[in-house]
Amino acid sequence: MEQATMFVELKEVACRFGSVEALNGVTLAVEKGEVVVIIGPSGSGKSTLLRCLNALEEIHEGEMNIDDIKIDRKQRDIHRVRLEVGMVFQQFNLFPHLSVLNNINLAQRVVRKRSRAEATRISKELLCKVGLEDKIDAYPAQLSGGQKQRVAIARALAMNPKVMLFDEVTSALDPEMIGEVLDVMKQLAHEGMTMLVVTHEMGFAREMADRVMFLDKGKILEIGPPEQILVNPQNHRTREFLAKVL
Amino acid sequence: MTEWGITLNLSILTSQVVLVIIYHKIGTSMPWLCEQLKILSTIFFYLIQAVHWTIAISVLAYLIALFLGLVFGVARICSNRAIQWIAGAYINVLRGIPLLVLIFFFYFGLGKFINLDRFVAGVLAVGVCYGAYMAEIFRSGIEAIDYGQHEAAMSLGMTRWQTLRHIILPQSFRIVVPPCANEFIACLKDSSLVSIIGLRELTRAGREHASETFLDFHTWVVVGAIYLVMTLSLTRLVHYLEKRAAVHGYGASHDVR
Repeated sequence: MEQATMFVELKEVACRFGSVEALNGVTLAVEKGEVVVIIGPSGSGKSTLLRCLNALEEIHEGEMNIDDIKIDRKQRDIHRVRLEVGMVFQQFNLFPHLSVLNNINLAQRVVRKRSRAEATRISKELLCKVGLEDKIDAYPAQLSGGQKQRVAIARALAMNPKVMLFDEVTSALDPEMIGEVLDVMKQLAHEGMTMLVVTHEMGFAREMADRVMFLDKGKILEIGPPEQILVNPQNHRTREFLAKVL
Repeated sequence: MTEWGITLNLSILTSQVVLVIIYHKIGTSMPWLCEQLKILSTIFFYLIQAVHWTIAISVLAYLIALFLGLVFGVARICSNRAIQWIAGAYINVLRGIPLLVLIFFFYFGLGKFINLDRFVAGVLAVGVCYGAYMAEIFRSGIEAIDYGQHEAAMSLGMTRWQTLRHIILPQSFRIVVPPCANEFIACLKDSSLVSIIGLRELTRAGREHASETFLDFHTWVVVGAIYLVMTLSLTRLVHYLEKRAAVHGYGASHDVR
């Protein structure tokens, strides 16, 4: 594959917490519009990988490229990186003191410097997209988990990110609410958003992923199309893991 | 100030007239009680003329404390080690010195170099002392906010300062309202310590009055009652502010009385 088509690139990335190697020589290239689902046992470094991509964790070795922005140990301008990368968290992390509208408006106004009218227009559009236009004046505490997570997705999208990171976004949800969040994610994928998704929803992986990646102890053990990884895994660790979750 | 003074005098006058009528009514049936009430009210109207100093000291000192508390509270969690250390030093030093000693230091100690007015020295001493307490309150308020809030804000490209300004502090303020109110009540009471450098606020006025009239019991009852009325009114005010700042389903929404 050619360099130019690579949208997100990781080269020998390592990240340590004390003596624990959270990521150990991870090399990965993601094309524009590709959906990569990351699976693996707990503590395997899935979340760390996403957090590194959003510069929430510092990488200790290697480098990453997102579009044309380079992230390595010397990168100081991390806000620029974060601008291009949208992240959705397991715990939603909506701002409880702000209404739904202001949750989505705030960063648009203070970071993207959009006018109130402009930001509100974009927020309304996105709320329609995630099906929550009637909750515009609600506060986070008045929303269900699924609704919160959809607001969180709208909030991240409002910044026009080039890549979206989803960190176990359905893990804190009641089962009947998982579908509504996954639907929004599927819609995004169909629209051509580049996505890295950490999830335990194997159904989503099978249906939506271009590639599935199995991560264990900070290393990529296996990566490939979902039918290969999920149905016919080569590595015995992948087999063990899938036997437990499927 | 003069307008306010006229209003105050007028209201004092009216209440005095009302009291005279009441005395007259009950005076014939309960002469002892009437006598006591007369003494207490005389003391009250005498002391109330000094209460504006108490209010001025506590309000100004508290404003200084709020400002210092916010600055040093944020500095304490700043990533810069030097700033962090300075904030820690300020808090630990001023928190560790008795307020009375600080008042002496500001008035007599610094008085050797610069001539500070009693009022200014008193306000500064109380202000910097309470600033240290307030800094710790603000720090705990900031640290009480879930780290996910920082991460969410930063993942949206907000700088540390923007995160603090728009996400963390607005949430912290709602948390620190009760302890801040606590400090204001303490500050109001501790303003009485400024009487020691000769500023004629409520406590000083009480002392002078007691030693002039030997009505110690009555005088200190009235002084205490005036402080109590002020602190209780404050409690009500804070309760009202808390209710106003409450956001649906979030934070201290319990109806505390």
